[in-house]
Amino acid sequence: MDRKWRVWGTLGVLAALAVGGLLGFIVLPVVQGRAAGIDAFTAICRAVGILPGSPARPTPPYHAEPQPVTKVAWTTATFEELYRADRANGARLAGERCISCHTLEGNTPDPTIPRNIGQSVFALYKQLHDFRSGSRVNETMSPLVKDLDDKQIADLAAYYGRLFRGAIDPDVSGRYAGIDIQNIVSNGDVARGLPPCSACHATRAGGPIETPTLTGQYAQYLEAQLKAFASGARHNDIYHRMRSVAAKLTSNEIRLLAIQYSGE
Amino acid sequence: MAATEHEVVRSELRWAAAVSVFVVIIFGLTLFAALALHRNPPSNLERIDPKTLHLTGEFTEPNLGTRVEQNGQVTTRIVATQFAFIPPCVVVPADREVTLRLASPDMIHGILVSGTNVNTMVVPGYVSQVHTVFRTTGNLLMPCHEFCGLGHSQMLARVHVVPAQDFRPDAEGRVSCEAQ
Amino acid sequence: MKHNRNLVLAHLWLAFAVFAIAAVFGVWLMWVRSPLHAPYENPQNYFRSVTLHGVSMAYVLTTFFAMGFGYFVAETALGRDIPGIRWAWAAFVAGAIGAVMAALTVLAGDASVLYTFYPPLTASPLFYIGLVLVVGGSWVWCTIMIVAMTQWKRANPGLAVPLAMFATVANAIMWLWTTVGVAAELLFQVIPAALGWTDTVDVGMSRTLFSWTLHAIVYFWLLPAYIAFYTMAPEAAGGRLYSDTMGRLTFVLFLLYSLPVGLHHLFMDPEHSTGFKFVQTALTALVTVPTLLTVFTITASFEVAGRLNGGTGLFGWLRALPWRQPMVLATGLAFFMLWFGGGGGLINMSYGMNAMIHNTSWVTAHFHLIFGGTVVIMYFAIAYQIWPQLTGRVADADDLAQQRWQLWLWAVGMMVMTLPWHWLGLEGQWRRVAHFDYDDPLIAWWASWVDLSLLGGVILLISASLFIVNLARLHARQPAGRAGPQPLRYAVPLHPITRLPAALNGFALWNVLVLVLMAAAYGWPVGQFIAQPSPAAIVHHVDRPS
Repeated sequence: MDRKWRVWGTLGVLAALAVGGLLGFIVLPVVQGRAAGIDAFTAICRAVGILPGSPARPTPPYHAEPQPVTKVAWTTATFEELYRADRANGARLAGERCISCHTLEGNTPDPTIPRNIGQSVFALYKQLHDFRSGSRVNETMSPLVKDLDDKQIADLAAYYGRLFRGAIDPDVSGRYAGIDIQNIVSNGDVARGLPPCSACHATRAGGPIETPTLTGQYAQYLEAQLKAFASGARHNDIYHRMRSVAAKLTSNEIRLLAIQYSGE
Repeated sequence: MAATEHEVVRSELRWAAAVSVFVVIIFGLTLFAALALHRNPPSNLERIDPKTLHLTGEFTEPNLGTRVEQNGQVTTRIVATQFAFIPPCVVVPADREVTLRLASPDMIHGILVSGTNVNTMVVPGYVSQVHTVFRTTGNLLMPCHEFCGLGHSQMLARVHVVPAQDFRPDAEGRVSCEAQ
Repeated sequence: MKHNRNLVLAHLWLAFAVFAIAAVFGVWLMWVRSPLHAPYENPQNYFRSVTLHGVSMAYVLTTFFAMGFGYFVAETALGRDIPGIRWAWAAFVAGAIGAVMAALTVLAGDASVLYTFYPPLTASPLFYIGLVLVVGGSWVWCTIMIVAMTQWKRANPGLAVPLAMFATVANAIMWLWTTVGVAAELLFQVIPAALGWTDTVDVGMSRTLFSWTLHAIVYFWLLPAYIAFYTMAPEAAGGRLYSDTMGRLTFVLFLLYSLPVGLHHLFMDPEHSTGFKFVQTALTALVTVPTLLTVFTITASFEVAGRLNGGTGLFGWLRALPWRQPMVLATGLAFFMLWFGGGGGLINMSYGMNAMIHNTSWVTAHFHLIFGGTVVIMYFAIAYQIWPQLTGRVADADDLAQQRWQLWLWAVGMMVMTLPWHWLGLEGQWRRVAHFDYDDPLIAWWASWVDLSLLGGVILLISASLFIVNLARLHARQPAGRAGPQPLRYAVPLHPITRLPAALNGFALWNVLVLVLMAAAYGWPVGQFIAQPSPAAIVHHVDRPS
């Protein structure tokens, strides 16, 4: 009796696998491939998962030249560069090139020039890199960083920034710019497909790596950047992440959001 | 009532046979769709590095959206990222096979197109590919249906299905919502 | 039931306390999703609550309930103390600490990654380590269950292991097999990322490892309910179990076919081939069979009970059943909900139809109905059945009436909540959304259905509160002069067991076959990531500023 169970149990399982396997790995791909002009061997390899693509459809062709909006890619190598950055060298470079506008502390006095103090290291690295590569253009910054190499950019970013976003980025900023603006910051606007600002620009949001700290930044600078994103004049945000957001905001909202985040 | 254990087991087996037939019929529908209609779940297994997606040719920003390739195939390329689709609006022709290709540079996203059988996950590391024919014209919703972060609730795109005569590709074969 | 009493009570109270708290969050979540304005509404709160609700209901309620009920069955069905009770307590403490750790990190907002984790979103390592402690504790439970059955068989050679224990051990073995997936995902991918040891994660592999666990885990939740169907409901109905043999076969089929089917949760994913998705669809078709067998066997058992109770004619036995018994009532309500939930499952399994409902509210409605409905209502019934054994306090007519009220409210609330939800999912309402734009003409009509679902949720919360009250009532002192509870009797089969094959009294054969099935169904789907790793994605931490 025991033996009967062993035999039939095993046969049952093997039969289930055999039927499923035969159909799924052989019959279906061969039949589908034939209709799509894919040879049987390729179709079977695709059905097993050894080759990419579908056994029932050829992969569409494309001819397109890469036109990246930034040359920065967040790879392990880039992270390593930032973790190993030399802050002392960054300080030295800052003393040479940055001090006259941004000061050594990063607390710039001019409200059209962004504060760097406590800014995300990743944000600083990306913007410096983009100025150098021409992905972002500014008549002051572009010539200043043209001859820096990747390591120097990393050092500068590490000097001014903090590896974790600084204490000046609480989830909601100081000044109260009205309930509607608060609402955009916390809840976005689903009717416009507008995500909340704090979905990215907050501690523990888990948003894109290069997200900058906004809190405590000059309102004038923030407003100028949002307007630049909205018009497309600034376009180094990967896959329109900021352009799509800024374009949905009215000018009044942009002005008030800038004030909200600046805390002024 | 069954008088003996033997009769009990037989009644159970009769029932098991009946329900197995029922289950086989349901399974058979899947088999039929696969053999006769060549329908498969979206299984593209085409790998692509999410970290350098924005540096590639196929998924570079100007190449996104709907394009009619030289062989007449209509391909719509969309990138899903935190927290928007790009392009947020695409145009597709009705009654013609369309291939949607999606990729993500960051999180797991997913899409469905309301009222159609278009439904796929967009997993970073892979190009998702769905083939369909849009039967009814109109404005369809394409939300992100997988949790991708705090902005997930606002992540929505639109699909304009236009009749064939209104589907007019430009010199490069591209059709966009702005041009319509 | 002397020795285990506190151990069982500790597990079950932890499970139910967490359940009650999570139920409150559940109603708030439905409120936020509805067109009505809810307090404290923002994405941070919403997703933190979804994570808490999901983790509590899917991991804490279920695991601790299964463990507590398992300890109860082991002692009462086998008639001996469980082995290694100190280990059992240590496992409870570790699991409880783990659950608290996970809950606190979620409440602090450091772990809004949902109960499905979704790397590259990466929470605080304390969250994952907490859950590892819960799972680790459950592995100790599995070991104790297996050892208890082995020792009993050695002491009773040639005798049939009582069905309740056989099924419990089947569940334990299935749990051991299935947790390998999530344990591997957490230990090798997610926790190293959370600790900052790695910057990237292979998302394809993590989803696949999680899917390994994802189907059999629902059967881990479900099998205690089925144990009640087979071994408690027929007895409560005053009848016999129609077939003990088919019962055993059912649990064996669950062990075999609930494991190699996880890819059906990844039908819409690009990282798996059509061939493996098809094979796992075929195997999923097989796992529908034990449920369908159960429907027949338990209905037949109830017919036996009904006729023994004087029922005549084609359906007269239905009316003759003692519906006033909570266990009988719960079984009937569970079976009613099973038609809808199980039917939904058949649709989910067919990947053509799956494409219509994947990641819509249909899925959420489905698992709330099948798990929250069919399974949890049996958890309530089991609790009502065994509580007198644990506290020495018999339920009087008032208690039983309250219990029936609670069960009815639960079933009604569940139907009211999930039926509109299924419908909206079919109409394309997508998942995990805190906010819908009810002004959009395309979806404005959803509003009243969402409100109806919310009403169902409120009814469920009332029922959940009543459940806690009912349990508390069974802790009150026994009134003087009333006899204590009778010892629990498990259902007796219609015909006595004469000869039982080793295959239906042990798991050696089935473990080998599970290995064969898992190797065939998951070998390449997991192996492909080792042979050809997916390009990895950057980790996004949700527990720290960067």
